[in-house]
Amino acid sequence: MNGYRYDEQHTPPPARQVSDVAVERFEHIFEVDPRLMTVHVAQQLFPNWDTLRIAASRGDHLEWMHRHWAGTVLSGQELLDEIESEDGR
Amino acid sequence: MSAPQTARLTDRVLGELVDALGGEYVLTSKTARMNRARVPAPFPVHRWRERIPDLVVMPATTEEVAEVVRIANAHRIPIVPRDGGTGLTDGAVPERRGIVVDVKRMNEIKEIDLDNRTCTVGPGINMLKLNEVLARHGLIYPDDPASYPCSLVGGRIGTSGWSLVGSRYGHTRDLVLSFEMVLPTGRVIRVGDGGGRKVSKSSSGYQLKHLFMGHQGTLGIATEATLKLYPKPEAEFSPFWAFADFDSAYACLGRLARAGVATFAGAVLFDEWKVDYLRRDDEAYIPQPADVRALVCAAAYGNEDEVRAGGKRLMRVARDAGARYLGDEISQGDWAARHDRYATPLHGRTAAGQVAPMSWHCEDAAIAYTDLPAVRVHWHDIITRLRERHPVFDDWGMFFYTSADTGVDYLTEIDVGIWEQELDDAAWAAWVEAKRDIAEISLRYGGSISACHGSCREGEVDLVPMELGGGYDVMLQVKKVLDPNNIMNPGKYGLQRAYEETP
Repeated sequence: MNGYRYDEQHTPPPARQVSDVAVERFEHIFEVDPRLMTVHVAQQLFPNWDTLRIAASRGDHLEWMHRHWAGTVLSGQELLDEIESEDGR
Repeated sequence: MSAPQTARLTDRVLGELVDALGGEYVLTSKTARMNRARVPAPFPVHRWRERIPDLVVMPATTEEVAEVVRIANAHRIPIVPRDGGTGLTDGAVPERRGIVVDVKRMNEIKEIDLDNRTCTVGPGINMLKLNEVLARHGLIYPDDPASYPCSLVGGRIGTSGWSLVGSRYGHTRDLVLSFEMVLPTGRVIRVGDGGGRKVSKSSSGYQLKHLFMGHQGTLGIATEATLKLYPKPEAEFSPFWAFADFDSAYACLGRLARAGVATFAGAVLFDEWKVDYLRRDDEAYIPQPADVRALVCAAAYGNEDEVRAGGKRLMRVARDAGARYLGDEISQGDWAARHDRYATPLHGRTAAGQVAPMSWHCEDAAIAYTDLPAVRVHWHDIITRLRERHPVFDDWGMFFYTSADTGVDYLTEIDVGIWEQELDDAAWAAWVEAKRDIAEISLRYGGSISACHGSCREGEVDLVPMELGGGYDVMLQVKKVLDPNNIMNPGKYGLQRAYEETP
């Protein structure tokens, strides 16, 4: 088990520019480019674990919402594959 | 008789309310009153104090509500019901101050009737919480606004709410079988389709349910509702597709809506402006290639075998219309997020591209399919001109969402970011003018000013008489008969003119 290292938590991975207005530091977690948040809004300092927790919580919330509304969620890709297979026959 | 304008509560009134409810549920603190001064619709922050009620009551029963209304009527004090306070047309805003009746204590489930598939609830219950209980019985109450986790059944009646899955299950007006209303005089009646509490179709008498549905607090306070229940869906299907241009997406949308799939719950198109907005900060769309310029989503619910068969048909329709499927992760994740748009953090952009804190506002209308492209051009022009004059506004794009299962008309919405802290009187006046222009376009194309949010606010409310014609005169007459002293939510819908002396 790794201990909590303040410096480590407050040193985010380097940002990769993914569009004109967004960067990515953790896989699949996009952030508004910090250069766009310099005049009217102040950015909060987030330890890395908190960024990951927020993203994971969002995933949990969406999963919960699926279960709340229906027993199962159908895959569009699966249906598309079936259609293409039927059309190919 | 003149309408009350700025009635103030005397010690005598306060005493009568305390006698009726107990002191604990008559709230006079600043916090209690300020928290019920507004709704999420934008408003100039510097004018916030204009709408703070004089006091708040929290009754627990129909009898207590009736007593509060009787007191208000006897003393000619404005009274405004408030449920979730999530509406976008100021229905719950006490424009003339007075008493706010907060119904959140009236949140019980009084009955679940498994054989007749109904439940009877207080107006203060939230649909999400209700569905958690109904799920234990394999049932669901499928009224699904974007405020699903925080809006309440009574508010859905007050606004005649629109539902994301309304093309499959109907909207609030279809799902509420009957409800109890405390009239402005304190009299309690029940309205439905005919007289029975659990009747879905009657030919007896006037259909009073529809008169009170969407009352916006002007005709009384809903205190109980009997709701129609469905089996909780076995399966959900929510494909999202990308298109290179609006016209292709629009053609596909129409084909999906007209396909006659029984489990079809809705389809929505996001235009280029909306896609540009999503590219700023939505996890699903930031990485999309530049040739994605419009999106269409469909949703289906029901028994798994039926959703599967219908889903295949929808996928085939979309594929034949040139759609590119965006994949399961985006489709499933984005759809799940649609049930809860009030939790979305919002920020807009200045003309220079800097992030600014903005609140979300949306203007909507009900527009027939064939008129959507023309309305879209006009509405964007209106907001573009507005932003040129006042950069506190930001065009967040438009969407078009089926309201029914045949594809006849669409909830047509333009989302506008508003930097409320910077909203001065001049910018507010320009916004009101833009709202009026948007409503005028809706009527010019034979639509209705609102499919979803209501038409009570400054700007569009001026055009309601034009939309309804002679029907608006009937509204005035009904209002005056039911509310002789104009105590129920005075100032809304321009109904004060019912009390003006005619020469």
